[in-house]
Amino acid sequence: MEVQSELASGEVRHLQRCINDLISLLGLPAIWRDGDPPQLLHSLLDALIRLLHLDLVSVSLTDEVDEAPVEIVRFAEQRTPMPSAHEICEALSECSKSDSRRWPPLLRNLMGEGDVSFVPLPLGLQGELGVIVAAARRTDFPRQTEALLLSVAANQASIALQGARLLSHQKRVASQLDQRVVQQTAELATANEELKLELAERRLLEEKLGQEEGELKRSEARKAAIVDSALDCILTIDHEGCITEFNPAAEHTFGYRRDEVLGMPLANVIIPLSLREKHREGFAHYLATEEARVLGKRIETTAVRADGSEFPVELAISRIKLEGPPAFTGYLRDITERKRAEQELRRSEAFLAEAQHLSRIGSFSWRVATDEIICSEQLYRIFQIDRDAQMTFELIGSRIHPEDLSKFQEHLERSRRDRSDVELEFRLQMPDGAIKYVHVAAHFRRDHGRLEYIGAVQDVTERRAFEEALSKARSELSQVARVTSLGVLTASIAHEVNQPLSGIVTNASTCLRMLGADPPNVDGARETARRTIRDGNRASEVISRLRSLYGKKDPTIESVDLNEAALEVLALSLSELQRNRIIVLQELADGLPRVAGDRVQLQQVVLNLLRNASDAMSTIDDRSRDLLIRTEPDRDDRVRLSVTDVGIGFEPQAVDKLFGAFYTTKTEGMGIGLSVSRSIIERHHGRLWATPNKGPGVTFSFSIPCRPQGLTSDDTPATHTPSVSDAA
Amino acid sequence: MELCQERRVVERPLVSVVDDDESVRESLPDLLGEFGFAARTFSSAEEFLASDCVDQTRCLILDIAMPGMSGPQLQQELKLSRREIPIVFITASREEAVRPQVLEQGAIECLFKPFSDTALLDAVNSALHSK
Repeated sequence: MEVQSELASGEVRHLQRCINDLISLLGLPAIWRDGDPPQLLHSLLDALIRLLHLDLVSVSLTDEVDEAPVEIVRFAEQRTPMPSAHEICEALSECSKSDSRRWPPLLRNLMGEGDVSFVPLPLGLQGELGVIVAAARRTDFPRQTEALLLSVAANQASIALQGARLLSHQKRVASQLDQRVVQQTAELATANEELKLELAERRLLEEKLGQEEGELKRSEARKAAIVDSALDCILTIDHEGCITEFNPAAEHTFGYRRDEVLGMPLANVIIPLSLREKHREGFAHYLATEEARVLGKRIETTAVRADGSEFPVELAISRIKLEGPPAFTGYLRDITERKRAEQELRRSEAFLAEAQHLSRIGSFSWRVATDEIICSEQLYRIFQIDRDAQMTFELIGSRIHPEDLSKFQEHLERSRRDRSDVELEFRLQMPDGAIKYVHVAAHFRRDHGRLEYIGAVQDVTERRAFEEALSKARSELSQVARVTSLGVLTASIAHEVNQPLSGIVTNASTCLRMLGADPPNVDGARETARRTIRDGNRASEVISRLRSLYGKKDPTIESVDLNEAALEVLALSLSELQRNRIIVLQELADGLPRVAGDRVQLQQVVLNLLRNASDAMSTIDDRSRDLLIRTEPDRDDRVRLSVTDVGIGFEPQAVDKLFGAFYTTKTEGMGIGLSVSRSIIERHHGRLWATPNKGPGVTFSFSIPCRPQGLTSDDTPATHTPSVSDAA
Repeated sequence: MELCQERRVVERPLVSVVDDDESVRESLPDLLGEFGFAARTFSSAEEFLASDCVDQTRCLILDIAMPGMSGPQLQQELKLSRREIPIVFITASREEAVRPQVLEQGAIECLFKPFSDTALLDAVNSALHSK
C-alpha cells in the first residue's frame, strides 16, 4: 500500500516537474523578442541542458544569405581542450546518420567511452533551418516526457527563428529600399540637369545655324568653328549621298579622319551592312518623290564605327535650303551611355517594385499645391485599388477604416499647413471587410519651388498580429511567474499559519485540562481561552495579507503608499528572511508621495528583490547578512525604492544578462523574477536597475512616477505608437 | 536561575522550551505544567546556552528554524560539549526531509506544529525515560 502511494507520489512529482519544464519552454518565445538568433539559441540550449540534465546539446543553423552560419555547443561540464563548435557540430552531423556506438574519435575523447544516446531535432518542417542535437550518457534517454519536451523546444525555436529571419529580411529590404529611393532621386536630378543643359545647347546651336543660313558667305569661318566645336557629330551629304562635311566630333565618334571619308558614300561609311539597302531605298525614294520618312525627325538607329563595332545613335536629318540639287545635314549623337542608363533604370525600377512587393512597402509622392498623387504599384496593391485609377484622397479615404478617417484627415490638414515630416499609423478596411494596419512615413521637400511630400506606406498587419501574440505571451509569462513565486511562498506561508495554529491547539488542550481538573482551574482556563482567540486572530491576519497579495487578477491603477506596500511584503517574508539569518534594516522616507500603480504587481517586485537579496547572501558567513530596504523621493516627481545586500554580487559583464529571463546564478529556480519585475516596472513607466556597491553586494532600485500615466496595457490597442517597447 | 533551583527542590523534572515564536512560549509552559513538569522558555538557542538551566534540563523542546543559531545547530553544539539532553523537535515548516535528519542525529521525536497534547506528552515521556 505504502509502496504504491510512494510510487504514485513519485509519478506526480515527475509529472509536475515535466509540466514546470513545459511552462519554462513555452515561456521562452516571449523572451526572444529582440529576435537575435544566436542569443535565443543560447538561452534555449541553456534551458535544455539544465531542464533535461543533458551531457551535450548543440545547434547548427543552415546559413542565410548574408549571415554567418551559427553553431553553438553546450556541455554539462566544462571540457578541456575545447574543440571549436564547428568541429563538434560537424562530427555530430556525421554520427547522427550512423550507429551511435561508432562514435567519432573527437566525440569519444570528449564524452568518454561507452554508449551515448542522442536525439537529432530538425528545425523547421523539413529541417531546413538547421538541427538541434541533444545527447546524454543515460541509457534511458530520451524518456517519453523528455522526447516531448525536446520536440516542444524544437518547435518553439523553429517558430522564433522563422520570425527572426522574416524580421531581419524585412529590415534588410527596407534599408535597400531607402537606399534605392535616395539613389533614384539623385539620378533623376542629374538627368534633369542634363536635359536642361542639352536644351540650352541645342537652342544656341539652332539659333546660330539659323543666322548662318542667311549669312552663309560671310560666316563660312564662323560656321566651321561651330561645326568643329559642336558636341554632336555633324555630317553633310550631297544629293548623291556622298559625304561633304565630317566634323571633329564625328571623327572622334566613328574613328575616321575627315579627309579619309570626304566624297565617300555615307552608306558605306557609317551605316551597318544590314541597314544599307534600306537607306539607299529611302534616299532614292526621297530624291524621286520628295517624300521623306526621316527628315526633320529625331530617330534612333544603329551606326557602325571604323573598327566595325555597332552602337546606338540618335539622328536628326534636315535638308539644307540652298539652290541646286538637294543636300542634307545629319546631327548624330552616340547614345550608348543613355541606353545603358535607361536599361539600368528599368532594372532598378523592377528591383524596387520587387522589393516593395516583398517588404509590403509602397511609395508615393504628393504635390501639395495640386493634390497630384503618384503611387508605386505596391501601394495600389496595399490599398486594393485598380492600377489604372487616378489616385486621389477621396479614393484613399474610401479605404480608410471609418474610425480612423478623422485622424487621417487631421494629419493631412496638418501636413498641408505645417510642411513637416509625417509619421502615423492607421487602419484600412478593404471592400471584403478585412482590416489592414499601415504605417506611413513621409518626408517634406521642395523640388524646384514645388512643395511635395515623398513617403512610404508599409503594411504592418502581420507585425501587428505578431506584437499582439507577443504581448499575450508576456502576460501569460508574468502569470506563470506569479504562480511560481506563489509556490515558493507557500512554504513560508504554511510556516506563518502553523505558528498561531500551534498556539491555538496547545492553548485549547490546556484549557480543557484545566477545566477537567478537580477543582477546575477557571482562571487559568480563561487565560488560555483568551490566548486561543488572540492566536486565531493572528492566523486570520496572515490569511488576509495573503489574499490581498494573490487574490486579485487584473492589474488596476490605484494610489499606492509604497512604504505601506513594502511593509506588508516584509511582514509576509520576515520569517523566511529570519530563517536565512538576514538582518533587515529599514530606511523608509517620511511623507513619501503616493505613487500611481498596481499595488499587487509592485509588491511582487519588492518580494522578488527581497528574495534575490536574501539568496545572494545565503553563503555569506564572514559578515552579518544585512539587507537595507530604502524608499526616497526621486527627481522628476518620482519615488525610488532600493534593496541593498552585502552578498556575492555579480560580475560586471553579467549586468546586461541580469534581467534576461532564465539568467540565474542560483542552482534552483527559473531565474525568471528579474525580467518579469522589469517588465512590471516598465509598464508603470518606471525603470529597474542594478548597481554594484562600493563594498560587497549589489543594490537593486526601481523608480516610478507619482502621477498616474496609465498602465501600458497587455492588449495592444489600435494606436499609432506600438505598445511593445523594447527593453534595452 | 533561582527558579531552576526552586523547581529542582520540588522534584518536578525540568522541561526547557526554545522557540522564537511567542505563542509557543506562552502556551506550552501551562500545558507542561498540567502534565506535572516544570517548564522554562527561551526565545533563542543562544539564550538557552547562556542560562544555567542547561544541566538541569531533562528534556529540551526545540524549534528547528530560528534566527541566529538553529535547532539542529544547538543539537550539534550540545553533542560536542557532551551535554546530551534528550531533544523533542517542533517545527512549523512542512519539509518532511528534516525529520529523519534530526532523528538520525539522536533526537527523540520531531513534531510538526500544530501537534496534539497527547503527542507532546508521549514525546516528553519517551525523552524522560530515554536514559
